[in-house]
Amino acid sequence: MSNINRRTLIKSSLAAVLAGTALSRAAVADSSEPILLGVSGPLTGPNAQYGTQWKQGFDLALDEILAAGGINGRKLAYSFEDSQSDPRQSVAIAQKFVSDPRIVMELGDFSSPASMAASPIYQRAGLVQFGFTNSHPDFTKGGDYMWSTSVSQADEQPLLAKYAVKGLGLTKLAVLHLNTDWGRTSRDYFVKAAKEYGAEIAVTEGYIAEERDFRSTLVRVRDANPDGLILISYYSDGALIARQARQVGLKQTMCAASSVYSPKFLELGGDAVEDVHVGTRYFPEDPRPEVQKFIAGFKKKYNGLEPDAFNAYAYDAMNMAAAVVKIGGTDRRAIRDAFAKVKDVSSVIFGTATFDVESRRVKGAMNAELVVRKGQFALWDGKPT
Amino acid sequence: MSSWLDYTINGLIVGNVYALVAVGLALIFGVSRLINFAQGSIYLVGAYIGWVAVVQLHTPLPLTIIVVAVAAALVGLIIERFGLRPLQNSVRIAPLLATIGISFVLDQLVMLTFSPNPRALPSQLPDVRFQVGGGTIGPLDLLIAGVGITSAVLLFVFLRYSKLGWAIRATAQDRDAAMQMGVDVNRVNQAVFGIAAALGGVSGLLVGMYYNQIDTAMSLQATLKGVVAEVVGGAGNVPGAVVGSLLLGLVESYGVAVFGTSYRNLFAFLLLVLVLVLRPNGLFASARQAPPEPLTGTFIAPSRPVRVPRWALLVAVGGFAILPFFPVSFYVLQTLINAWLLGMLALSLTLVAGTIGQVSLGHAALLAIGAYTSALLSLTLSVPVGLAIIAGGLMSAALGTALISPSFRLRGHYVSIATLAIGEIVSLVILNWESVTRGPIGISGIPPLSLFGYDLISATSIYWFSFAVMVVLALLQARLLGSHLGRSFRAIRDDDIAARAYGLSLNRYKSLAFIFGGFAAGVSGGIAAHLYSYINHETFNTQQSILALTVVILGGLGNVVGAVVGSVALVGLPEVFRIAAEYRILIYGIVLLLLVRFRPQGLLGTI
Repeated sequence: MSNINRRTLIKSSLAAVLAGTALSRAAVADSSEPILLGVSGPLTGPNAQYGTQWKQGFDLALDEILAAGGINGRKLAYSFEDSQSDPRQSVAIAQKFVSDPRIVMELGDFSSPASMAASPIYQRAGLVQFGFTNSHPDFTKGGDYMWSTSVSQADEQPLLAKYAVKGLGLTKLAVLHLNTDWGRTSRDYFVKAAKEYGAEIAVTEGYIAEERDFRSTLVRVRDANPDGLILISYYSDGALIARQARQVGLKQTMCAASSVYSPKFLELGGDAVEDVHVGTRYFPEDPRPEVQKFIAGFKKKYNGLEPDAFNAYAYDAMNMAAAVVKIGGTDRRAIRDAFAKVKDVSSVIFGTATFDVESRRVKGAMNAELVVRKGQFALWDGKPT
Repeated sequence: MSSWLDYTINGLIVGNVYALVAVGLALIFGVSRLINFAQGSIYLVGAYIGWVAVVQLHTPLPLTIIVVAVAAALVGLIIERFGLRPLQNSVRIAPLLATIGISFVLDQLVMLTFSPNPRALPSQLPDVRFQVGGGTIGPLDLLIAGVGITSAVLLFVFLRYSKLGWAIRATAQDRDAAMQMGVDVNRVNQAVFGIAAALGGVSGLLVGMYYNQIDTAMSLQATLKGVVAEVVGGAGNVPGAVVGSLLLGLVESYGVAVFGTSYRNLFAFLLLVLVLVLRPNGLFASARQAPPEPLTGTFIAPSRPVRVPRWALLVAVGGFAILPFFPVSFYVLQTLINAWLLGMLALSLTLVAGTIGQVSLGHAALLAIGAYTSALLSLTLSVPVGLAIIAGGLMSAALGTALISPSFRLRGHYVSIATLAIGEIVSLVILNWESVTRGPIGISGIPPLSLFGYDLISATSIYWFSFAVMVVLALLQARLLGSHLGRSFRAIRDDDIAARAYGLSLNRYKSLAFIFGGFAAGVSGGIAAHLYSYINHETFNTQQSILALTVVILGGLGNVVGAVVGSVALVGLPEVFRIAAEYRILIYGIVLLLLVRFRPQGLLGTI
């Protein structure tokens, strides 16, 4: 027993130490080997759920890519390294990826601190860092090897503001936002747009990610006497806020950013999220063929499980990566250049996606105005609640 | 103005939620003088067992509570029997570390079984609500209050009037005397852990129902809030834990009312520091309570430190210095860079925790101060990076020592809790002080490391740079420990009363240790900032502080070489187990437990 343990331990540590050196001597252009993407993301730690969702989206996309003949006849695969979304680990992973010649580009990391800490390493080594959930405004400023399909908040928030102010006729708003780089940036774009549409911002409240109790925050919101609540939240905290808002006696219309869009929002929120309005990039009842294909495939592969937005981001990212690799081949520099060349890649979030070479992001996310009715997301019928 | 009634009610409601965790912590602290960092994990286990009972087995509420209580109690008994009892005669800090290891293992087991996705845990009580003030109260609020207060009252009666209760109190007062009087100390411990775990499990269930939401990340927050509430009330005092929890809930609620949501936890931790400074034993500690014992000092296991021969050290330093000339991958170098940065932090902590006996659980704050100082100086004032890093070190030394100085008069576990609070406060100030720190957006575009105008951007040059800095800091520290000053430090650790009687000024020496330690940690944070080019308030978190403590205990408290060896081991282990992906933290937790069990004085022993 202990013997086996010791042996596997030594083996694995040797493997780790030798990883770089041994691999660099391995045949690089063996066409029977799959083309390999590196993924740096959380599989353990507080954000572990998102890494799991990424995998589901990636695997579905890869099945479809393989069924369609792969990348010029070769398989596409990924190597997922668990970073816990911790900058210390994401920089080590970055070194691992850049020195592994099999890796042609990298996807991730999940959070901005982890991604942006690794950016200098990717940039200097000339390996694309494709941060498909990194909406931090500075992420793509890290260098010309940083690309993102994350919807820029500069794009998304004005759409939500328009929905709330023009669509629902709300004029005095309370904004609750996650106090992270994402929530803060989103809030600023939202507030700016909402004011331009003529609304007044009565109060803004930022809360930390671990927060569970919002009752006192909501009393504060109640005292500001708004006619609408804007949630810039993820689905779990969004559901908590909605539930507690009803408990402290707030009956105002609630309007939430696309990040709450998940079946989990309905499950966790229960009755309290009824009539919550959501502006979203992704809606499964969207009749567009790319969306329907994604949903049907997802349900089939995962025993009827409903996909959510993070699944869709990952699925889109993998398809985008495949399209880029198809043009760029296996050369890292050529892959970077290929990002500027891909046109109209079929995408759940964007319809068709093309990069804006200046910002290295995709513009023109799809927008659906939804409302929760009878425990389901439904297209908004145009009537204020 | 009517809203103040609502703030009060909300504060009491969330205070009740904290009380559920704090009561279990207080009970264990009362008997074992141990802060059980696994209490939050038992709470997590309780919530998920509750989910299975409610959603899959459809048990009625009373049965759900019984199932959860019994199952959680079993987990508690197993922890006591196999995790903690073998550590009875080892260093006093060993069981604390073991509970951290156990919490890793439990959290990870739950995550592997149930996946990290949050789940809905529906309340089994009818959804009627009573109007109170502008808000409402539901049956679950009342049930939580009922469970919190009833369990505190029952425990109080049990401890005061039952035979087992007497045995528990006797053990708490003087373990050896109790044993001589025929008290079966092990049985007492088991009873306490069983009861505390049952309470912890039920609290997880109720809180899960209250929020209709459970997820695997909820355990650390529960532990943190529970510990704060417990210490505010008076560690080990069961009714005090309830009052402390309600007070914490109220302070948070009023804090939100006056200053806004983003200041919420800031007030919780400020309350804690305030109570510790004004009433070091908590608000409700009895005057007769024996003063807490130092965590290290006389309780350091009688071990002989492993003397690493000078030539072996020279060979090791030389070997690491020439490593980049061999065909090693950048990944290995980067991993070692992380180890050197952690090594500097560990040197800092091993000095204050090991040599002078101030166990700090908030050491990441020193990293953060150094990192922000260095990043801001080089970005906004264009100070050369080398100088900025030194300035970061000095700022950490000055500010860190000033912040921690109120805790100098504390002893035992209270020092660790005060430092834990200070760590959180620094992080929350960084989040809220936007005009300087840029708040949640963080600082991006930090210039890369450079020395005399040359940028150090290759992994090799960063490796050499960080290694050299660490070696210099280690040599300085070794020199310090060998000097008269080092002997004074150890004298304070071993017996502060004797040291004071001998004329040593405790505060002055503690300050000196923190100044040197703060400098080393600040330099580490500064280098990290330039290495990452982006930092925000989450870059240096509590987990980092716990990791640093693990490193110095693994290496051997106060042991300079041990701190470095521990860093290499603990940065290396997770990387070695990287292939195990999801099982990585589980393996790490188990390895930690085994080390604490079989080598509690650390790999190289304590100096």
